[in-house]
Amino acid sequence: MALSLPPALLGGVSLAMLACLGFAVQAQSTTPTPPVQAQPQPALAEIPALQATAPSPDAPDPSLSPECRVPGSKLYTLAKLKAVKKALLEHRAVQVLTIGSNSGGIGTAATYPVRLEDALTRSLPDIEVTVESRGVSGEIAFGAAERLRNQVAEIEPDLVVWQVGGNDALARVDIEDFSQSLAETVAWIKSHGIDVVLVDPQYTASLAKDDYYRQFVQAIQKVAEREQVPLVQRYEAMRYLATRAISALKGDTAQAGAGFRLADLGYRCMAEHVTRAITVSLLQPDIAGPMVPPAAH
Amino acid sequence: MREPNAVDFWRGIALITIFINHIPGNVFQNYTYSQYGISDAAELFVFLAGWSIGIATRGRDGVPEPALRTVLRLLSRMVEVYRAQLVITAIALAMLAGAALYLDNPLLVEWHNAGPIFSDPIQATVGWVTLLHQLGFFNILPLYVVLLGLAPAFVLLSRLHLGLAIGISVLVYAVSLVFEINIPSWPVEGHWFFNPLCWQLLLVLGFAAHEWRRSSERFLAWRRRLMPLGVVIVIVGAVLSWFNLRPDPLAVPEPRLLFIFDKSYLSPARLVHFLGVMLAFQAVFGLVQPRAGWLTRQLAGLGRNSLAVFSVGSVASLGAQLIRFWTGGGFATDVFVVGCGLASLSFTAWFVEWRSRSPRPSSAA
Repeated sequence: MALSLPPALLGGVSLAMLACLGFAVQAQSTTPTPPVQAQPQPALAEIPALQATAPSPDAPDPSLSPECRVPGSKLYTLAKLKAVKKALLEHRAVQVLTIGSNSGGIGTAATYPVRLEDALTRSLPDIEVTVESRGVSGEIAFGAAERLRNQVAEIEPDLVVWQVGGNDALARVDIEDFSQSLAETVAWIKSHGIDVVLVDPQYTASLAKDDYYRQFVQAIQKVAEREQVPLVQRYEAMRYLATRAISALKGDTAQAGAGFRLADLGYRCMAEHVTRAITVSLLQPDIAGPMVPPAAH
Repeated sequence: MREPNAVDFWRGIALITIFINHIPGNVFQNYTYSQYGISDAAELFVFLAGWSIGIATRGRDGVPEPALRTVLRLLSRMVEVYRAQLVITAIALAMLAGAALYLDNPLLVEWHNAGPIFSDPIQATVGWVTLLHQLGFFNILPLYVVLLGLAPAFVLLSRLHLGLAIGISVLVYAVSLVFEINIPSWPVEGHWFFNPLCWQLLLVLGFAAHEWRRSSERFLAWRRRLMPLGVVIVIVGAVLSWFNLRPDPLAVPEPRLLFIFDKSYLSPARLVHFLGVMLAFQAVFGLVQPRAGWLTRQLAGLGRNSLAVFSVGSVASLGAQLIRFWTGGGFATDVFVVGCGLASLSFTAWFVEWRSRSPRPSSAA
């Protein structure tokens, strides 16, 4: 009897915990943040529409909402987004294709693609951004990469934001096979003058010590680096948020469902995190002098 | 219970192939024929479904049964398949959720497109019950439901003229390919994994092949004569698939679906390859049956009870995936899960037949 809590009480407890957690994260993250007054960068001057400044990499990024606040170094690795930049310079609408789950978190009013469109539109005023989304069933090492090519060809976007690896990691496909398939697909998308942003799989405590899973996440980082595409480090970001949550709850994290709440938070934050990675990538200076846009087909 | 025949035999092979291919990454996957061609077991399954409709809608004497009975027969089969789809989807969702709770791993409820059912249940419940939201690997039966819904029209048209049924089927296929028409998925944006408007052609071709085989000497003669062409197509398919050669979907001319290798729309290359496979392997059953009686009986047993075997296979392959994830996989795990799965398919076939003949004391002789 003692264990059977009424659902209303349970709901109240979890709500209160979430509120505590949010507050604690806010309290912690607001204190150490130095006021970031980034210098206008050369790239920014090129793109008047872009409403963003490059943050300091190691402090929690103050432009993110409190519950999602993660330092840039744990959130993304950057690379140039030539196709999107070209569209911005030409004041042309930007079409984005998101691949993977469209969850925006449990009980949220908007799905992830809607939130992403919203967040990108806010960061890129004057530019029309449309986001289409597609799920992928199956593993990219076994056929899903082919379907993804066909989806990209169907929509012909400027940018593909790809939550990659979830299905393959759960199916425990060979990491080499997966990496090769991923690299080939990314190279193919780029070869058609379309930008790619990769989003690696989620962190969850029960997989923190799973060697295969960690190597899998690292394999995606390597591909992103080699193929020169921005990567949203969802795994790292969620691990960071999880440590925050642990300290906020003062060690009382063993309760059932902590992992599920973190996963939910991961989805709530994804649109912001992806938008941040895109806008900061757009600030990347062009080293090779004046930008020569690739010939888009 | 009917004697082993070529249709049940091949359907048994398709069922085993689908089961193994639905456990991605397992070692046996490399030995299924899907890895060595452009088309796979799904084509075989749908083609044979059409063939079986040809058998089912004629009496033992070969005379077509009354139109109303055909319509009711096909619609009642459609209801049966729909019911099977709901049951296996519900079981799959519970398996994913149960595994997520047991392993404390929220990633598992996201697997195979299950995410929206847990994060957005109001829309997604409507979605999966209306077949507009399909779990990964649980997308063949929704296709089959729609095909059985369309089948009465094609069967009745064929009684006017078989050419008319085929003509309309080809027209629907071509229009869907050129204009990229497919049933949308919902609540997640996108389309059905198997486009019924395209795949209906294979069902109609399977049905037509059965009709021709009954009545046309010329069909049988040409089927034999074209066998070498089938072998060539199979070899070309194997080479393309081995070296991973396929058209670039962003480089082909419009309408691009005519040129690429696309499973959803059953693009022409897949269709041609599948017909080649049929031509090349037409004689296999006749060769295998006298030499491997036990194997033939087992495979035909699976094929005779294909809906039950397919349903158990779908659930078993998800179970196998969860076990592979939990244990980390490896050769021993693969042998275990595939072995148990095949045994459960075999048991299902036996059990369904036992149940249908056994607990009926009133009809016992």
